[in-house]
Amino acid sequence: MNQKLVNILLVEDDEVDVMNVKRAFSKNNIMNPLFVAGNGVEALEMLENHIIPLPKIIILDINMPKMNGIEFLKIMRENEILKNISVFVMTTSNEDSDKINAYNLNVAGYILKPLSFEKFLTSVATLKNFWQLCEL
Amino acid sequence: MGNASILLVDNRKAIIESFRKSFSEIEVKHTLFSAANENEAWSMLDGSQKLSPVPKIILIDVNRTKNKGIQFLNAIRNHTDLKSILVFVITDSENEINKAAALNLNIAGYIPMSFESQTLNSFVSVLNEYWNIIEFSSQK
Repeated sequence: MNQKLVNILLVEDDEVDVMNVKRAFSKNNIMNPLFVAGNGVEALEMLENHIIPLPKIIILDINMPKMNGIEFLKIMRENEILKNISVFVMTTSNEDSDKINAYNLNVAGYILKPLSFEKFLTSVATLKNFWQLCEL
Repeated sequence: MGNASILLVDNRKAIIESFRKSFSEIEVKHTLFSAANENEAWSMLDGSQKLSPVPKIILIDVNRTKNKGIQFLNAIRNHTDLKSILVFVITDSENEINKAAALNLNIAGYIPMSFESQTLNSFVSVLNEYWNIIEFSSQK
């Protein structure tokens, strides 16, 4: 399976969280090219204008300025080219409404950001193992 | 996530048994239901044998029955109360057309696997770890 090399887009406004994802990728030897967008508007711009190669996986925060994760997902799922990208929500929002909206838009998983970096590392390791099972 | 129910759709009794054994050996905390085909599965989701609560997860080999599996997934995605179900396609055969169709229906994962009991445990344990880090809504 070659999805080890698929492009991943992280849509996240918090710079500390972006750094944590990068560190967790590096510690787990996840070598996939990782692109970062600071919010939904920026992510759509990057995707629609082909500024980055089409990712197979998107890691999506919910609470972001300009366009939040759910609004981004809605637009993405209506776009013929983008609609089948696998989306993994990674957020601090424990709101039921966010979970319902995200699963109605068929995310592959809704993950609460763990409070400690150690736990975050474990979650990312679990994601890596799961991605390695899947054909995208 | 907390305890959820999982529906496995497969017409091979031996495979359903292997999954049951594997769930038990790995101590998966989720409840496993099984259906022998898409019709039976549908009746468990929205028919006379409707499960309550509705399963949060479906495991299905869409390559067992030409395009019936894909039609089933399509019906789920078009059903207001079922469209949010997390679907994992698990298969021991290749079918690029079904694979593309399933990915277009936003399944959570298309997983080629061996159903041999020695290797099944390792697949189920990765899946189980993944299920344990994801959250579901408390609804339904």
